[in-house]
Amino acid sequence: MSVSLECKKAKRTGFLPAFFGGGILAAVVPVINMAVRSEMYLNLPGNPIQILLDANWQMMTMLNVLLVVAGACLLYHTEYADNAMQKMNSLPIRESSIFLGKTVLTIFMSLFVLVIEAGAVTFCTYHWFEIGNGFFGELCKYFGYSFLLMLPCIILSLLIAEACKNMWVSLGIGVVCVFTATMLPTTNFALSLFPFAIPFQVFTSSDVTQSMHYIYAVAAELVVLAFAELIFIKVRRSFE
Amino acid sequence: MSFLSLVGVEFKKIKRSKILLILFVATVILWIPSILNAQMNFDMQAEGISPENNFFIQGFMGMAWFMFPASMVVGTVLLSQTERTNKGILKMLALPISTAKLCMAKFIVLLALAVLQIGMAVGMYYVGAAIASSTQNYNFILQPLFVFKEAGLIFAAAIPMLAFFWLLSVCIQTPIFSIGIGLASIVPSVLMINTKAWFAYPMSYPFFAITAEYGKLATNLDTAQVELIPWIPVAIVITILCLGISCTRFGQAERR
Repeated sequence: MSVSLECKKAKRTGFLPAFFGGGILAAVVPVINMAVRSEMYLNLPGNPIQILLDANWQMMTMLNVLLVVAGACLLYHTEYADNAMQKMNSLPIRESSIFLGKTVLTIFMSLFVLVIEAGAVTFCTYHWFEIGNGFFGELCKYFGYSFLLMLPCIILSLLIAEACKNMWVSLGIGVVCVFTATMLPTTNFALSLFPFAIPFQVFTSSDVTQSMHYIYAVAAELVVLAFAELIFIKVRRSFE
Repeated sequence: MSFLSLVGVEFKKIKRSKILLILFVATVILWIPSILNAQMNFDMQAEGISPENNFFIQGFMGMAWFMFPASMVVGTVLLSQTERTNKGILKMLALPISTAKLCMAKFIVLLALAVLQIGMAVGMYYVGAAIASSTQNYNFILQPLFVFKEAGLIFAAAIPMLAFFWLLSVCIQTPIFSIGIGLASIVPSVLMINTKAWFAYPMSYPFFAITAEYGKLATNLDTAQVELIPWIPVAIVITILCLGISCTRFGQAERR
């Protein structure tokens, strides 16, 4: 019930077209890159998905993460802008279930964005390389991994958006976090676990243990963030 | 009401917005990796750039690429959203003031935020350089005149970009589109500076200007240099166009 309510709220805010547009924009990146300088990539060894993602994933993730940050800010901005949150709080609904509804909506939209991007990667492989056996299985593996790594970033940006009543503060913190993520070295395992830096990782089929470490770390982060959200709501209500 | 007092009023409105804190945190984060990796500046001597110049210019490139434009998008959100709450903007529009003047006053505040952030980045540069000098036993501190010249260059190059962001926030009422377009337009600036048509893309100006400076300082590096002739006229046209449209569009959505 809560999720469908959130969908209705987001209807006229431009949330859906923004994710659609953002997904298209990120999907155009590998296509343009291949169209302009395909000769740089065609002779590289390895599987085409790996080549395409290594070349373009930085920019695509940057767009995805910025989209998630802006979307999270907007979802809570609609609540705070005209004190709708007070009305929501007076309803017999838990505050955490509102958060859950928004999370599910954002996760669903991010999945949608990733599907568009996977489509673009498929197109590039079809057009410039060739689709080998088991291509779609591989594609699902790569994008499923990317999807998992997006989750902490989504939840943390929603948490920030929930914590700040003013949109520019939450957006500002989000932008600073994204900026920090771009400054962190990706080779350092501990530092790349920062929720905004983790989506920049690409699945490497040659080093599955490393990828599994990231998946465990994501699971741990999700548990921590979920607890943080529950505690935050309790603490804030006692101060309001 | 005179223009100056209007600008003063706009400053008062953002007094408690915590924007300066956000801008400050961003500049602090900017210099931390540079301080931690200060010894790497000595490796760059192979490119013909002195360690102190490299320390300075790498930090400023990090700023001009993403942090500064993104912070300015946040600034435009601040300026357009503070008055949406409780319909403050309707009261402002009801006053006998020309809307174009009001719009320009807000743009001046945006410029001031840009100056403040660049100023803070310069301040933090001196703090960072002092720390790096003591850890590396090498003088990283540069002449203030040179540092301020580069900072001024970034600011001047950023004016068309700021005008464009301001146009977005005035003309597009749904906040997610103005933010989304603003942030998304920053990301390809890295690609745009490598193309021939960089001067048609205002979001790449600050980064292009500072990359050109990097090329000047590093004798072995060959970066594209600024060509003033297509750039300056195009930049002026873009700025005037953006500001003109935003001045005429300002308050239209509320007046309907």
